[in-house]
Amino acid sequence: MKNTKRRAILVVNGVLLIIIVLWTIPTVGLLVSSVRDRNDIQTSGWWSIIPHQSWVASGEPIAAPPDQTRDQPITINGVTASYDEWRNGVNMGDGTRIVWVGNLRTGRLQLYTQQISMNWNFTLDNYNQVLAGKAFEIQRADGTSTTVQGDDLVGAFLNSLTVAIPSTIIPILIAAFAAYGFAWMKFPGRRIIFIGVVAMLVVPLQIALIPILRDYVNLELNGTFLGIWLAHTGFGLPLATYLLYNYISQLPRDILESAFIDGASHFTIFQRLVLPLSVPALASFAIFQFLWVWNDYLVALIFMGITNRGNQVLTMRIAEMVGSRGQDWHLLTSAAFISMIVPLVVFFALQRYFVRGLMAGSVKG
Amino acid sequence: MKKVSIVMLIALVLSLGTNVMAQGASGCPDGLWTLMSAELESACKGELAGTAVTMSGPFTDEDEVKFNDSIAEFEAWTGIDIQYTGSKEFEAVIRASVEGGAAPDIADFPQPGTVKGFAADGKVVDISTFMNPEWLAQNYLASWLDMSSMPGPDGEAITAGVWARFNGKSLVWYPKQAFEAAGYTIPTTWDELIALSDQIVADGDAPWCVGIESGAATGWPATDWMEEVMLRTTSLENYDNWSFPSDVANRLPFTDPAVKNAAETLGTLWFTDNYVLGGRQAIAGTFFGDAPTPMFADPAQCYMHKQGNFITSFFPEGVQAGVDYDFFYLPPIDEEYGKPFLVAGDLYAMFNDRPEVRAVMDFFSRGESLKSWLGSGGALSPHNDAQLEWYGSDVERGIAELVSQATSVRFDGSDLMPAAVGSGSFWKGMTDWVSGTVDLDTALAEIDAAWPQ
Repeated sequence: MKNTKRRAILVVNGVLLIIIVLWTIPTVGLLVSSVRDRNDIQTSGWWSIIPHQSWVASGEPIAAPPDQTRDQPITINGVTASYDEWRNGVNMGDGTRIVWVGNLRTGRLQLYTQQISMNWNFTLDNYNQVLAGKAFEIQRADGTSTTVQGDDLVGAFLNSLTVAIPSTIIPILIAAFAAYGFAWMKFPGRRIIFIGVVAMLVVPLQIALIPILRDYVNLELNGTFLGIWLAHTGFGLPLATYLLYNYISQLPRDILESAFIDGASHFTIFQRLVLPLSVPALASFAIFQFLWVWNDYLVALIFMGITNRGNQVLTMRIAEMVGSRGQDWHLLTSAAFISMIVPLVVFFALQRYFVRGLMAGSVKG
Repeated sequence: MKKVSIVMLIALVLSLGTNVMAQGASGCPDGLWTLMSAELESACKGELAGTAVTMSGPFTDEDEVKFNDSIAEFEAWTGIDIQYTGSKEFEAVIRASVEGGAAPDIADFPQPGTVKGFAADGKVVDISTFMNPEWLAQNYLASWLDMSSMPGPDGEAITAGVWARFNGKSLVWYPKQAFEAAGYTIPTTWDELIALSDQIVADGDAPWCVGIESGAATGWPATDWMEEVMLRTTSLENYDNWSFPSDVANRLPFTDPAVKNAAETLGTLWFTDNYVLGGRQAIAGTFFGDAPTPMFADPAQCYMHKQGNFITSFFPEGVQAGVDYDFFYLPPIDEEYGKPFLVAGDLYAMFNDRPEVRAVMDFFSRGESLKSWLGSGGALSPHNDAQLEWYGSDVERGIAELVSQATSVRFDGSDLMPAAVGSGSFWKGMTDWVSGTVDLDTALAEIDAAWPQ
């Protein structure tokens, strides 16, 4: 009996371990890539840092047999293979391998032996370029050149925080009030309005972009932080209201009723009872909303977009770092890691509420 | 004490602020420009100092730095502040911005086909209303002006913008050291090019490196190739009617024998055994930026790569122009059609009509606006008043010379076509054909079906 139990635990933990490893591999790969240099990233995978057997050139190349053609087999040291096979390398059977380097006329033979190797050529250059900005050399007509420092992430990082924090707090506050109202206050049309709010969940935000942009231009909100806070608040509210309603409406009726009998007003109940009791739901929604706003590219692009460079958020800045034609995509590795830091901090800070919050409203009765 | 220093600090900041505001204009050098618009003249006298012009475009990062450097002098002369914001998703954002009424004063379009829609909607300001036509005719080749002339909201042609920069496309890059070590010579005719390719195959190598993968835009390098072959195998009239028909009746469809012939010619180059590194299957799966990398392997794995001059920024770090790589002109196929040169370029279109925006647009029609960018590399000037000696790199000066020697200059056709074709079915159709998913006739018919009626 005890044995079976232990075996079951082992199996469960084993499966969990495998899942965890599988899920972390991409992040580990990203981390490893971010400390490799540009040429390494472009020519080999991050896993080449793991010690592995590889063929290493030994000695100087020697002359290849002359006057061979592409479609005739070529015999070297008693081994016969086609030219294309020789180019890829042929194992000679004695632990060495011969590769035909170069073309048929000018090619040479290179002997390879097997060795354990690993590519541990680490550099912090990617982080340096992302954090301090890339250095561009500008040639002047008179032959001199000056170095111009490109934009770094600092300004965009602060902008992202400026966007994300109010865009998380404002919808939560409004939604908590609304959820309390829908759950515990009686007023005509309550059901209809609530259904209306829930129905908003299915409206994709993309279709609202241009109309809202038009209004923003008229109200002169375009390119301002206030504008983007309002946009994120609007887009986040239906889900927030729905989620918090489910949680708040499940609070024990007795507590609230006794408060009523003691003469508490709605505001007092909301502030003294409902808010403290729904911290798990608030926290879990805060995580959702914060991650969504932090990673948002589209909304920022449209409402901050092309009129106000000073307010660029992190996602926009990172997208630009790869260069006009994407030639510097290797910088995405380190930039992605830097942008991950804040969401990770938020997640771990609020994590203890998260599991409780995930079940918010899911279990009735 | 503390309070005093804070007050002083605030005063300092305020005074710095007012200093910037009051920073005047030093005026343009005398006699630098002729045939100026009234607005540029008044800007040059400093009368528009303190105004700002917003700009947006797809170039970011390094190009943005070079751009800001190239306008710095003009800003000091006139006191006009040009505020540029680049975005990687420019094409999508500009549509939303213009629709939403939040368009920047000036936008940089690398695909003039996009401007066509804005021009027809009456969103774009006709620059011929204030620019001196004599000046435009003097400073641009006629074909540039033709390509910036588009139907306005009432069907009348308007000049939808000024050409600010261009890229040369008809260039074949080769790894100079390996190429010379193998004893190859630069081909000047199509037959020589094929003979060289055969020679390289016989030597046991792949002559060409081709890659057309580019995420959502996969296939665009194939459209460039198609345009090159079209220009070399059919008349300019056919090319123009194919890429930029003046009206529907003249349009040369993709199903026309001239287009099919071009595709088949391209096919013989791409699909001949051993001609392309990795074979036909590798073409669609190779990222265009990684495609030239095997040229610089040791030993070189391929010897030729056709691409616009921007590709040098994808070459491995440390390779040098003129030492490790060089370029030659993709030779003509049929002598009858001369030496055409394919280009792409950036059209600056104007969305808000204010005196300072007019002045800045006039400035961009002058070579002076690119002078420092040409010096630091990465741009070519379409302006006739730009001097060859302004170019900082021999490669770019060489391309500018090639363009001036060309018998005809034509714009990247896919950038001129309506977006549904030029950045849609043309890319996809070519990719499907190259990867062998559909045969040529089906692919061409599919591309053509997307053309807006």
